[in-house]
Amino acid sequence: MNCRECVEHLYEFLDREATPELERDIRQHLEECPPCGEQFDFEAIYLKFLRARCRTQGAPEELKRRVLRELFGE
Amino acid sequence: MATPNQVDEKRESFEREALVHLDALYRVALRLTNNAADADDLVQETMLKAYRAWDQYEKGTNAKGWLLTILRHAFINEYRRRTRHPENVDLDTIEPFAVFGEIQDDDPQGAFFDKIVDDEVLREIDKLPEAFRETLVLSDVEGMSYQEIAKILEIPVGTVKSRLFRARKVLQARLYGYAVSQGYIKGTPA
Repeated sequence: MNCRECVEHLYEFLDREATPELERDIRQHLEECPPCGEQFDFEAIYLKFLRARCRTQGAPEELKRRVLRELFGE
Repeated sequence: MATPNQVDEKRESFEREALVHLDALYRVALRLTNNAADADDLVQETMLKAYRAWDQYEKGTNAKGWLLTILRHAFINEYRRRTRHPENVDLDTIEPFAVFGEIQDDDPQGAFFDKIVDDEVLREIDKLPEAFRETLVLSDVEGMSYQEIAKILEIPVGTVKSRLFRARKVLQARLYGYAVSQGYIKGTPA
């Protein structure tokens, strides 16, 4: 596996969606190639940042009450 | 005619399996409609449709995916028509900008991300083309698997992969550009 192929599959790898063979090839490449390793670390930080920023918001209380009222007449 | 007991059971299973996903439905609705009032209505309508069709849902399977499919259909059929039109964007012409190449010497750990607040991230997500936005939201906001996303969006898993890759790269480039414009990091804006 070369750097370009490795980087093409970086999100599959970080999302744990890679096949076992692909995962093995990527791990092997990362061990041999520190620059790709750094890039993967950076992308992992980015995904963690996205999750942290986007998952906090929930439905407003008023909407919850409205849904219950419509469904069950409460 | 359903007996009172059956009504109770239906309600109980709906509360347990469907209503627990209200927050997730609202987050997705908000990103699709870009508007709190429309998001409220879309979620409300989704829950009503889901409750009516509850007998068709196989209990104990993937309620979140089932609900999001209903929500997306309702959005396409009713809201998108009158609120926003799907952009005619040629997704293939959107070239991701290589952020890592820019920052690897000064900030390889992406410390600039820490300075970007929730609202700014959501604002940039809302500016993505719809096909990118919905894929990214289902993955990064809701944590769905590629398979689940493919099912909800009715596209092949390979398309999920490529859209997610480009959506994340485009978003990353725009957040980097924002960070540069705010002086959070030195560099050339994308």
